[in-house]
Amino acid sequence: MSFHPFSHFQFTIRFTDAAKMYGAVLACTDEAVLPVSQVFDAIRELGNEGVEKLDPLVITSASSLSKFPVESSSVDLVVLIWKSLDFPIDQLTQEVLRVLKAGGTTLIHKSSQSAVGSGDKMIPDLENKLLLAGFSEIQALQSSVIKAKKPSWKIGSSFALKKFVKSSPKVQIDFDSDLIDKNSLLSEEDLKKPELPSGDCEIGPTRKACKNCSCGRAEEEEKVLKLGLTAEQINNPQSACGSCGLGDAFRCSTCPYKGLPAFKMGETVLLLSPSLKLFGVISLVCPVA
Amino acid sequence: MKEIQQRHHKLLILYATQTGNALDASERLAREAERRACPINLLSLHQYDPNLLPQEEAVVFVVSTTGQGDTPDSMKVFWRFLLQRSLSQHWLKGVHYTVFGLGDSGYQKYNFVAKKLDKRLKDLGGTTILERGLGDDQHPSGYEGTLDPWMSSLWRILNTIKPEFLPNGPDVSIQDTVLIDQPKVQITYHNIESHFSTASDTGSVRSMHPGKSSSDRSGHPDCFLKMVKNLPLTRANCGKDVRHFEFELESHAIKYDTGDVLEILPGQDSAEVDAFIRRCDLDPDAFISISPRGTDDCNGHGSRIPIQLKTFVELTMDVASASPRRYFFEVMSFFATAEHEKERLQYFSSPEGRDDLYQYNQKERRTVLEVLEDFPSVQMPLEWLIQLVPMLKTRAFSISSSQSVHPNQVHLTVSVVSWTTPYKRKKKGFCSSWLATLDPCNAVGIPAWFHKGSLPTPSPSLPLILVGPGTGCAPFRGFIEERALQSKTISTAPIMFFFGCWNEDGDFLYKDLWLNHSQNNGVLSEANGGGFYVAFSRDQPEKVYVQHKMKEHSGRVWNLLADGAAVYIAGSSTKMPTDVTSAFEEIVSKENEVSKEDAVRWIRALERCGKYHIEAWS
Repeated sequence: MSFHPFSHFQFTIRFTDAAKMYGAVLACTDEAVLPVSQVFDAIRELGNEGVEKLDPLVITSASSLSKFPVESSSVDLVVLIWKSLDFPIDQLTQEVLRVLKAGGTTLIHKSSQSAVGSGDKMIPDLENKLLLAGFSEIQALQSSVIKAKKPSWKIGSSFALKKFVKSSPKVQIDFDSDLIDKNSLLSEEDLKKPELPSGDCEIGPTRKACKNCSCGRAEEEEKVLKLGLTAEQINNPQSACGSCGLGDAFRCSTCPYKGLPAFKMGETVLLLSPSLKLFGVISLVCPVA
Repeated sequence: MKEIQQRHHKLLILYATQTGNALDASERLAREAERRACPINLLSLHQYDPNLLPQEEAVVFVVSTTGQGDTPDSMKVFWRFLLQRSLSQHWLKGVHYTVFGLGDSGYQKYNFVAKKLDKRLKDLGGTTILERGLGDDQHPSGYEGTLDPWMSSLWRILNTIKPEFLPNGPDVSIQDTVLIDQPKVQITYHNIESHFSTASDTGSVRSMHPGKSSSDRSGHPDCFLKMVKNLPLTRANCGKDVRHFEFELESHAIKYDTGDVLEILPGQDSAEVDAFIRRCDLDPDAFISISPRGTDDCNGHGSRIPIQLKTFVELTMDVASASPRRYFFEVMSFFATAEHEKERLQYFSSPEGRDDLYQYNQKERRTVLEVLEDFPSVQMPLEWLIQLVPMLKTRAFSISSSQSVHPNQVHLTVSVVSWTTPYKRKKKGFCSSWLATLDPCNAVGIPAWFHKGSLPTPSPSLPLILVGPGTGCAPFRGFIEERALQSKTISTAPIMFFFGCWNEDGDFLYKDLWLNHSQNNGVLSEANGGGFYVAFSRDQPEKVYVQHKMKEHSGRVWNLLADGAAVYIAGSSTKMPTDVTSAFEEIVSKENEVSKEDAVRWIRALERCGKYHIEAWS
């Protein structure tokens, strides 16, 4: 069987006993009053039967609440039904994450009473926040409903979770489903690694140190530097081609005076010490008109 | 049924530039077109509405690929538009196009942006004018090595398929005694009485420079910073000089998050600025205003406010760091009075001399001042200088502090760069060495901008795996500080941090900080499900890097990944992110006993859902 961790892309509606799936349910809303049937309707979106057998704990006027009056890791399903535009995402996601058992589910109903158009942006924003908060298997069920799961971690667990299928976070965010896969635009030829010696900084006598060499080769090359000029060449510079004294712009690639300031024939070439700035030395040696 | 409106009878040149190379290449293309009397329209991709593409007659795309294979920022929206499934394969029917890419074959993802764009345009029904050109930094003369011959082919082919674009044919004769081009700006000199209002604030001054573009940070700074601490983090003579800088925010309105980026405008050395002004025979105290050539004085683009020339040079013209472009040498040749200088400059501007120019100029990192000193007979008018001297650029750094821990402050971790050029001259990084010389006792206001980088701020309940060797640790210092503070009041998820450096007693940046947080149930402690591991690459004969340490702790890494951890990789190397990603793939493959291909797909999926972030700088 060839393994593909993301084969369960589509949410499949299964009819199972809700009471068995979601033992403890917490419903939370910013409204002052909420009929229990609305909670059941919301849960039905998860495609379960026997929803009426559930006994959800309902918290109303929750916008003023900083913490849910519920024990940590005690709830299988949290249903949030939020009507107002003021949705304290960070606080709520923290709390939902806290009270949910590992592997538990949350269902968020957020009504978009705001102006037309802004509702489209809301769902991706919320999905992003949930993702960053640590939720997994985040799905947008409808235009204003999101389902997400709390992953099953235990902090500090010492055994390796070996089975891929059970424990890999199957993240299903795909904002780009209306775009083609850009990697499909590259051919075999394009993907072939370009012909340069790759990364082995030790081999090859002609390979020079990289621009931002971090392996030490650049320093080795520096240490080997010598000016390559004799004392005679420095004190009494002569040039067969006549261009050496004019400065780097006019010198041949093999010129021994490369890198040094311009000079006049016969006059001692001022060697550049690393701390001197080039223009300062030139103005001493070669008077600029 | 789509109706074809009247086509625009112009050659449209669209570019996407990150560091300015693609902009230079497309400006060169535009110039060559104008010299052939071909009407053009030159725009950055972020300025162009992709809906208009089907109406174009001929389009040339000039696009760069960044180090990680990504599109430049200015291309992101356009590219997303082009990738829509809803566009049909006939959408660009009748549109002639070609692509020139700028890239570096030292990277695996060589010119990926140009290659993908080319294919996508073809799939959408476009007709290629000529095969795409791929400029390569590794070529002896950089991208120009490919651009020159490719452009010749372009004019030749365009002349056969669309002769109306080139009324004088594909060739142009260069009259070397007359400069056919004109500068883009005109200067007005003002006689200023002392009570006249002049512009001297950074924002106004920089906005007058013609080189500013809307995607560059040249408007008013978000704030001005005062340096309050300048500390070495490395031992003297260890081979590296990394500093910890602390700045005070002079404004209480600034809010930043961990992972954000700070951009600053470095100051130029007064002596260099003076030398440049002297060399160019300018009056530092003159007051000037700048406007596009051809506009009359009543044009109110804010350029009427006079600026002092010296201030303008200081704040906008890079005289001692950036190298000028080939066009600078071409224009210089017209203003050289010494015959041998004129010849040499013409040689440098020709296709034959291009490689030599690359050696002398780009590879040596010649500054404008150095070039002007090497050609002493050249006197370029101010208009040309303003157009051609590279604009002083801001430099960006990852913020290394958390504002919750240090309200009113922002910290940076900066490596003072220095290197030796091919001609054996010693050079230092302009901005880093300037910062290193600043004295907190004589603090000057540094213009600064804040913006998001590629590292989103993690929420406290998100487990993290951080890999940041060297100065890559900078943003993570912010993450870790912040989580440590948060852990005092709420429960937080663990962090695993892999750091790397050369020697334990040389460049172990922030050693005490990391060790502190990895003990006593701190956020980096193993007891809490996290960890802190260091690779000292040079403390033993064989190289040990962060990826080796990661594989050593393969099990713990997988545990955290399975728990939903997000991965952040940061650092200043071209190869490190690739090596680290391979290590993750190996870990996933090993711990789950699945094939490498499956592991690669898993990591890619992690990337697509926003849990795998890389910030690499060079």
